[in-house]
Amino acid sequence: MALRNLLFCLVVAANAQTPYQWDLPAGFPKPRVPADNPMTAAKVELGRYLFYDRRMSADGKQACASCHIQNLAFTDGKARSEGSTGELHPRGSMSLVNVVYTPTFTWMEQGLHSLEEQARIPMFGEHPVELGVDDRFLDVVRADPKYLKLFGADPITMDNIIKAIACFERSIVSARTPYDRYHFDRDDTAISAAAKHGEILFFSTGFSCFRCHSGANFTGKPEEVGGYKAPTLRNIAVTAPYMHDGSVKTLEEAVTHHGTMTGQERADIVEFLHTLTDEALLHDPRLANPYE
Amino acid sequence: MRIRGVWRPCYFLTFWLSQRCRIPRLTPWGYTICAMKLALALALLAPLYAQDVETKLVIAGDVAHPLTLSKEELAKMPRTSVTVKGEDDTETTYEGVLLYDILKQAGAPLDKQLMGKALASYVLAEARDGYQVVYTLTELDPSFTSNKIIVADTVNGKPLFPYQGPLRLVVPGEKKGARSLRMLEKITVVRLRK
Repeated sequence: MALRNLLFCLVVAANAQTPYQWDLPAGFPKPRVPADNPMTAAKVELGRYLFYDRRMSADGKQACASCHIQNLAFTDGKARSEGSTGELHPRGSMSLVNVVYTPTFTWMEQGLHSLEEQARIPMFGEHPVELGVDDRFLDVVRADPKYLKLFGADPITMDNIIKAIACFERSIVSARTPYDRYHFDRDDTAISAAAKHGEILFFSTGFSCFRCHSGANFTGKPEEVGGYKAPTLRNIAVTAPYMHDGSVKTLEEAVTHHGTMTGQERADIVEFLHTLTDEALLHDPRLANPYE
Repeated sequence: MRIRGVWRPCYFLTFWLSQRCRIPRLTPWGYTICAMKLALALALLAPLYAQDVETKLVIAGDVAHPLTLSKEELAKMPRTSVTVKGEDDTETTYEGVLLYDILKQAGAPLDKQLMGKALASYVLAEARDGYQVVYTLTELDPSFTSNKIIVADTVNGKPLFPYQGPLRLVVPGEKKGARSLRMLEKITVVRLRK
């Protein structure tokens, strides 16, 4: 036990010194990290423990991870998410993959431009209550020897808890899908001929999918107040049900929902979307529940 | 009834397909007509399906020498590369031929001829998927601008992706990429006043 604690301390100490490694392919956009919360391996690891800590909700039953499940690309597989008090959220849980690139958070324009601001909504929001975090969680963290080590010299405050969670969320980066190998590493065998045809359709003026789902993350800003955001299409094959209210059950229906097309065209677009699934990320131990 | 001549392979093809895919039983001519419909549908969809599209650029309209440039002809022309900034300041380098050089070769009114009535001209670029964009001659003539609009055939040293190419226009210095038309097929010069 003493040896395990010693090793844990060594890992924590080593993490505090190491600059954060992104490991992105050449040409992939640079992550946007706010100046007041730089990435460190130590904060990411602390954030992981907090992200999965079910003691966070007032009733001790829910963590961030309850609605952001790793093998569902950090969504929850439900049409609309349920808070710790059973209140139903009006909208579905959004994927956290590549949030480091996200300029505007949540489904609609609410003026939320940083993860640190956004995290306060599920933590402290009352309309609806999601986690319902209160100061009792600070006492829990301050009394836990594991957290004392993970925090190191940083004071245990709600601000630092939020910053660490944001760091962990920013570490959820997908840049090594078959699509990325095709696009950034120029491996022409990484995706099928049908997927390449789906890509042509995706970027054709007839379908114009790319107008809203644009850039390396295939996403867009909410067009206007009251308009919903085009969410990222990365890992879209594992984030059913679809649309802001989960009203569409399958990826095929979700594609059809956006316009008329032949069965072959739909199949090829779906094939293309499947190339955006990051199997390694869905099972990456660095992003997994540390309590299991 | 026996289907003869050129129709015979059509008949066999769809008959064979029907056995494999449980298409309802048809008369022999039914299978043949079905095969013809399939072929027609394939021919209509082919332009978007083709992944190894032939590199070809048609220059037409009010130019002295309308021409069609092949991959080899484009490769022989003076090459220019431009680097454009994209999402989060990522840089992408395209290489190809100045649109100015191509239109000059076709005899469009440029340089000293780009004056008076010739200024009321536009350049229509058209893509394989039907997308269209318009430029003016002054936007690509080096006597008017230092901006280099190119017809690119490579991206970061590799051939363009099928959804971009085989040729595309790249307009550096614009805040949006919307005029950097992909899947370029044809350029038409239109003189409004002659």
